[in-house]
Amino acid sequence: MTRYTVIIAEYSCLIRNGLRSILEKLENVDVIQSIQQKEDVCEIVDQLKPDILIVNPNMLPDEYIDVEKSFFQTKNISIILISEDSNVKDKYQADEYIDFQDNQNIIFDKVQHIIHQKIELIPSKHKSNETLSAREKNILKHVALGLTNKEIADQLFISIHTVVTHRKNITQKLGIKSVSGLTVYAILNNLISMDEVK
Amino acid sequence: MRIKKDMKLADVIQMNYMLIPVIHRFGIKLGFGDKTVADVCDENKVDLNFFLQLVNAYHDKDYFPKEELQSIPVREIVNYLKMTHASYLNNTLSEIEQKIELLQSERNEDKKYIPLIRNFFDGYKNELTEHIIYEENTVFPYVLAVEEIIKTQNKNPKNLEMFQSFSIKKYAEGHENVEEKLMDLKIIMIKYLTPPVNITLYHMIIQDLFKLEEDLNYHSRIEDKVLTPKIALMEKAIQNLFQI
Repeated sequence: MTRYTVIIAEYSCLIRNGLRSILEKLENVDVIQSIQQKEDVCEIVDQLKPDILIVNPNMLPDEYIDVEKSFFQTKNISIILISEDSNVKDKYQADEYIDFQDNQNIIFDKVQHIIHQKIELIPSKHKSNETLSAREKNILKHVALGLTNKEIADQLFISIHTVVTHRKNITQKLGIKSVSGLTVYAILNNLISMDEVK
Repeated sequence: MRIKKDMKLADVIQMNYMLIPVIHRFGIKLGFGDKTVADVCDENKVDLNFFLQLVNAYHDKDYFPKEELQSIPVREIVNYLKMTHASYLNNTLSEIEQKIELLQSERNEDKKYIPLIRNFFDGYKNELTEHIIYEENTVFPYVLAVEEIIKTQNKNPKNLEMFQSFSIKKYAEGHENVEEKLMDLKIIMIKYLTPPVNITLYHMIIQDLFKLEEDLNYHSRIEDKVLTPKIALMEKAIQNLFQI
């Protein structure tokens, strides 16, 4: 399962830790860092590149309203504000806001809603439990034999871009990233034999 | 929970047993009775401030040192990281390797699949070793040179050349994918391999891999959260100082 990384930025430790312990109940969310000082927000967010930033609007950089999301260098970051004012969401162009009064289920729903949006944006991200297609097996075989993307594209008469997409999907489905890992998988599943490997 | 100097070291270890190899790298041996962190550090001539920062960074995921950063000498951090590297190379990796060899030498094991695991682990070991050599031969000399320029406020040609040849940003950018193979190996052993006859040994290897991964994560947290930002600050100071 794909897990989404979250950073919480909030002055109040009650809210910060409370939110963390609520979010830890979600199986597809990882709270990787919480931030308690405004000055740290940009630096830490840019360094850790979370999928979602849950933030007290008062901790956003002062220039934030003018430059919208481009303030953070991290691409595809979703912003959830913590506030009691329903107008803040539009004011800051945020994706969602969590009210202090929200109960646990509402918070779950709001966060999952953001994650669903992300899944739609990057469709390959949730194809985890499927088996490989015949095409993918064929590509995997070539990868395992040590061919480069270019060589595979030439041999199968497809574009490099297609090869890259297939490889991404293969890695997503199997959970294996490295070429040598994929080679082991290919041997175990009799896609290639051990003596074929260089 | 934040670890403080007047806590008993035994209590600290109880909270997080992953700290056992950490204190070992400082030369601290178990059997310290009821002594506090400060006492034990004093006896073993370990810099208390550095020790606290380090164990807190290991122990608490949210720990993000800020103002204390200035006070730890880079040399101390580098020495510690080198000790950690040595323990990976001399102990952890070879222990896992020995277990895989042991599995391979058992008579009634499947001769086909174990060598696959072994080759794969060898590949990972080489990669990690290379990464460690890169850190020790390129990154560490660089950060020590940066510290020396700051300390002496003087850029002799040798240090200047070093300063201009590298930047900590370069290091930070390439620091993400080192653990890829280790994670792959775990996945393969868990999801795709039929377990061998000696299941106990097989489980031990998987558990060792998990522990190694966890320890490496802690280790890179020190590199990414303590060393890298500290050097980045120093780089800025040097650029201001000499108008480079």
